[in-house]
Amino acid sequence: MRDGRVNWLCTLVAILVMLFLIAPLIVIVLASFTPTALVTFPPQGFSLKWYANIFGSSTHFMDGLVKSLQIGILATLLDVLLGVTAALSICRYDFRGKNLLLNYFTSPMYVPSVAFAFVLLQVYSQLGGVPGMARIFIGHFIIILPYVVRNTVSVLHVFNWTLEDAATSLGANPVQVFFKITIPLAKPGILAGAMLAFLYSFDEVALSSLLSTPRFITLPIRIMNYMELTFDPTLAAISTLLMCASLALIVLLERFVGLDMFMK
Amino acid sequence: MATLELRHLTKKFGDFTAVDDMDLTVAEGEMIALLGGSGCGKTTTLRMIAGFTEPFSGAVVVDGKDLRSVPPYRRNISIFFQNYALFPHMTVFENVAFGLKLQKLPKAEIRERVESILSLVKLVGLDRRYPRELSGGQQQRVALARALVTRPAILLLDEPLSNLDAKLRVEMQVEIKRIQKELGITTIIVTHDHEEAVSLADRVIVMNAGRIQQIGTPQEIFDRPVSPFVADFMGFSTFLHGVAGREENGLLPVACGSRTLLVRTDGRTDLAPGDACVLTIRSENIALAQETGENVVTGQVRSATYKGHTTRLEVSGCFEEPVYPAISEYAECKEGDTVSLYFPPERICVYKSTIGG
Repeated sequence: MRDGRVNWLCTLVAILVMLFLIAPLIVIVLASFTPTALVTFPPQGFSLKWYANIFGSSTHFMDGLVKSLQIGILATLLDVLLGVTAALSICRYDFRGKNLLLNYFTSPMYVPSVAFAFVLLQVYSQLGGVPGMARIFIGHFIIILPYVVRNTVSVLHVFNWTLEDAATSLGANPVQVFFKITIPLAKPGILAGAMLAFLYSFDEVALSSLLSTPRFITLPIRIMNYMELTFDPTLAAISTLLMCASLALIVLLERFVGLDMFMK
Repeated sequence: MATLELRHLTKKFGDFTAVDDMDLTVAEGEMIALLGGSGCGKTTTLRMIAGFTEPFSGAVVVDGKDLRSVPPYRRNISIFFQNYALFPHMTVFENVAFGLKLQKLPKAEIRERVESILSLVKLVGLDRRYPRELSGGQQQRVALARALVTRPAILLLDEPLSNLDAKLRVEMQVEIKRIQKELGITTIIVTHDHEEAVSLADRVIVMNAGRIQQIGTPQEIFDRPVSPFVADFMGFSTFLHGVAGREENGLLPVACGSRTLLVRTDGRTDLAPGDACVLTIRSENIALAQETGENVVTGQVRSATYKGHTTRLEVSGCFEEPVYPAISEYAECKEGDTVSLYFPPERICVYKSTIGG
């Protein structure tokens, strides 16, 4: 019965590790409610004024949020179209160089974003007049593609292609097979990839800071710029909101996809 | 229900010929077993009938109509896969109803047909389960129900029982045969198990290297295999090399080493005196002899393996090759014993020796 009893030392280490992970987050959340002008812990009093400050025009956070969402959603949607198509053709067909192609599609992951930004800047300056949104969109579109491809491939890699034959023999034409069998079964990988891709884009700093123009600035860059000038609890407040949003996204996704889809 | 014809069906993968000039006519409601080892072309044949693989040449004809230009989803040929291929994201009901929904039938009719087929395969009350919540035998019956519910012209079964344990396999053999006869559906079953083939099918086709070796009723194939290959595949294990003599009174004497066995050929043999030949006999047909006489030889038991209802012996010293009788009297034979064995002349099959065979 020694398996039934958990070693107290293991428990202690586990608790310490978990505290280490979550403590900074707790500090930030609590600090965001402080009425003082500097981040203090423990907070003295309670105030929502820093939250109000987020929505004030001086921070430009709302403008940054809209632009980040535009880039993130657009890049993710297009990458899902491209990435899922690529993953399907790599997994379904047997051809020479399919591994090479897979590595090609995932290569943006291995290129340092600063180097990548440098290349893009060269291209933009050669072309001239590339609008701000396109400058960042192109960068994000390429850099998040690997997440969609990798996650979709990981599901399709163990996909039972006989299911498509089975559906066909029951009278489903290729389009019906695709939408009734292939896509529903690949959905966990596609959604997981899309979520990671979106969060990466939404959080991306290095590439965006180098590519942004004064008129098109994403939220992380706005926050970074704000941080350089002012170091007040507004930063704690917006961090708290962003954490809540990420958490909500993950919870929603788990609800819709269901963890059991991954455990078959 | 339909008739099925394969005309000179051939499939090549590069230089490799998987199916070679296959001709076959299947009657309405008949059940045919394609029997052969792995790579003999039986599954490729099935995939060509279903339309998943295009033939290199030849034709698949159903009810007199060439299916060449008919895509697989319009063929009305159901296929049952070895791994069942149940849709994991659908319940039992949705799996079975899949084909009917595609036909855009009214909801009430779909429900009625699904329920009646589920009761036929004895799965009533499980319609809301997901495939992963079912046992192997239940999954298999869902797959069978799904293949049958669309009332296909032809049913193809690809190794339907190979994933089941022995007891369930026998149960499902009975079940499949019952359902197939009840619906009178033209069926082709692919298997590598000769017992499964002979117990299920009306006719058995033994294939090797893409070619048909023998077509016949289970009885014919079981009792009179046309070649040593088919015999070997049907579970014959004793093979003896010998030289034919002159047939007399329907009995052909064959000299095997220093001994001579009489084989009942009744004039059907093409062997001339002096021809090298191969003899084979089923283990169950070799009997223990109490006294000496024609076709009785003695040898020493090398090993005795208890198999439940029979004991399988390896006996050497009779001929150059060992013989493998299966006998029911276990107590009388132990390793090292000397036994007398009787080879019934009408049970021995004789073939002309081929080079290397």
